[in-house]
Amino acid sequence: MSLQLPLWLQYALVGVVVAASLWIFLKKQLPGTVRRLRIAIATPLVRDGRPAWMRRLARQVAPPPSGGASACGGCDNCGPSSEPKRH
Amino acid sequence: MSAQAEPLRLALLGNPNSGKTALFNLLTGSRQKVANYAGVTVERKEGRLQSPSGKSYAVLDLPGAYSLNPASLDEAITRDLCRGFYPGEAAPDVLVCVVDATNLRLHLRFVLEVRQMGKPMIVALNMSDAAQRRGIAIDRATLERELGVPVVETVAVRHHGARALVERIDRLAAHLHLPTVQLAEDADLHAETRRLLAAAVSMPSRTAKIDDALDRWLLHPLFGLLTLAVVMFLIFQAVYAWATPLMDLIDAGTAALGEWVGARMGEGPLASLVVDGIIAGLGGVIVFLPQILILFAFILALEESGYLPRAAFLLDRMMAGAGLSGRSFIPLLSSFACAIPGIMATRSIQDPRDRLATILVAPLMTCSARLPVYALLIGAFIPARQVWGGLNLQGLVLFGLYLAGILSALAVSWVMKKWRRDQGEHPLMLELPSYRLPHARDLAIGLWERGMIFLKRVGGIIFALTVLLWVLLSFPAAPADATMPAIDYSLAGRIGHALAVVFAPLGFNWQISIALIPGLAAREVVVSSLATVYALSAVDDDAATQALTPLISDGWSLATGLSLLVWFIYAPQCIATWAAIKRETGSWKTMALSAGYLFALAYLASLLTYQVAVRLGAG
Repeated sequence: MSLQLPLWLQYALVGVVVAASLWIFLKKQLPGTVRRLRIAIATPLVRDGRPAWMRRLARQVAPPPSGGASACGGCDNCGPSSEPKRH
Repeated sequence: MSAQAEPLRLALLGNPNSGKTALFNLLTGSRQKVANYAGVTVERKEGRLQSPSGKSYAVLDLPGAYSLNPASLDEAITRDLCRGFYPGEAAPDVLVCVVDATNLRLHLRFVLEVRQMGKPMIVALNMSDAAQRRGIAIDRATLERELGVPVVETVAVRHHGARALVERIDRLAAHLHLPTVQLAEDADLHAETRRLLAAAVSMPSRTAKIDDALDRWLLHPLFGLLTLAVVMFLIFQAVYAWATPLMDLIDAGTAALGEWVGARMGEGPLASLVVDGIIAGLGGVIVFLPQILILFAFILALEESGYLPRAAFLLDRMMAGAGLSGRSFIPLLSSFACAIPGIMATRSIQDPRDRLATILVAPLMTCSARLPVYALLIGAFIPARQVWGGLNLQGLVLFGLYLAGILSALAVSWVMKKWRRDQGEHPLMLELPSYRLPHARDLAIGLWERGMIFLKRVGGIIFALTVLLWVLLSFPAAPADATMPAIDYSLAGRIGHALAVVFAPLGFNWQISIALIPGLAAREVVVSSLATVYALSAVDDDAATQALTPLISDGWSLATGLSLLVWFIYAPQCIATWAAIKRETGSWKTMALSAGYLFALAYLASLLTYQVAVRLGAG
């Protein structure tokens, strides 16, 4: 039995996967550019007088504090990991 | 919202081989590679520790240093971080000085230098179990009294081996105090070390008898090198012999998954993306995981055993002849995993010209990303049979490819040495750690990390590039009056055909030409790209689910296969490596030089290989 989705839905799902892939590619290969883009998008949203939801959105969009990020498509092994180890 | 107090900052520092990284792993749960030289941990590593009392600490793993009078960049980084002079870094609150209890003669001198900084500190007497086994008696209380700082025994490779250290850190944190003993600025630290050893330590012999017996053979100028060559050779044989059953399993699983999904999804763009793009592409790369893990299991075991510094010692003369420093060994060895940490590890090389030479040849070391490409091509073109009385031919070829990369690096650095007319001497001083049996837990952690790194790449950048390539290969669709296969009308198809003009003298078809482009982001992507291209080019479903290896062995000539193998020995490094070179050298020119000379070498070597192979009848 095969699952046949409507063509528009198939293209929509493909679009989502492609957009996510493009985002991953840009984050890995052009992290500096992506970081500047996120800052540029977030900055106007936190100006005085903006509603609370807009400020919350800005915090989601803004990049985390820089930790010497580099265009490394490699080990993803930078910075502090997971939860603190309990002894 | 109340502000949380900043956690106390602990900095782990010590000589290389003190077990500092293992202790960092144990304290924080972060999975760091356990290695013996500063070059592997030159990057900043930070973790979090929560003590039983509920206190939280930030733990910094500093680069290994023999002295705070720096002879290298990473020693300077350690010194500056401890003093609070490092830009953007707060000074640590407590220094945890990790020493090897079996080698206090060397490590105690560093403790005295650290104590001179006049900061709260604790000495972690690591490998105390090994010291006991060797009959080394250390009076911890006397050492603590003479040093004027807390001294705690640790065994970093044991599950609770740092419990006492954590408890002592908690007590110290409640009331930070400075060392109670200080020497004059111009004190003779060697004399003080001898005094402390006499007061608190009794050692039966300077090095274990086993170390001496093994070094008699393993450091021999002839037998040592032979042994090294045999060890490396056997490793590559094992990679093929042991990996095949697992690879067949993964291959079968991927094919079955593709068929199952294809049967359940109706025809359309979504099915094409999932089956021809994602499953075919990623499956083509995941199949090489067993080989990567086996290779790294051996490399980790060699590191853990203490053998690798002996290899550096044996190869020093050869490397010096090629214009490389003996300190280049560790960065170049790191480059077998990935050139980026290898290039960053060159910070430990003092001479700027030696450092530049090492950076420029590091991409010639066969990084782990090339392994899937090699494995694919060897599997397609080199018969799986035994030669010369039982040696696996495919393993032999893989060994040859790695050797070709190493010899090429030596040749390139020799040319650079002649170019700059370098007559300088490059002495190498190495500490040879004691031999030890690789610890199963650290090996398992290292392998787990390596496996996760690989799978993250598959799920991350390789997945992303596979999907993007699928888009380029699928759109625009073929026109109604198409005469060629649909894929030839796609954007990637057109680009591939255009590039094929450039690469035709090397025997590369358009499929190979287009696969080389995403390969610039991650080399393994060449494999997934080829898998996607051939899956989309398939005339029917049966052909689409065929594994890549038989497809290319039927479709390409032997000359093309050999040419592509040679291309990848020299191929320009991935974009991330370019970025690392630019960052470490601060020079676009050096980055361009590196990419340019590698492209030229790759093109010429492939051209020669293909043209000669064709004339010999392999075309």
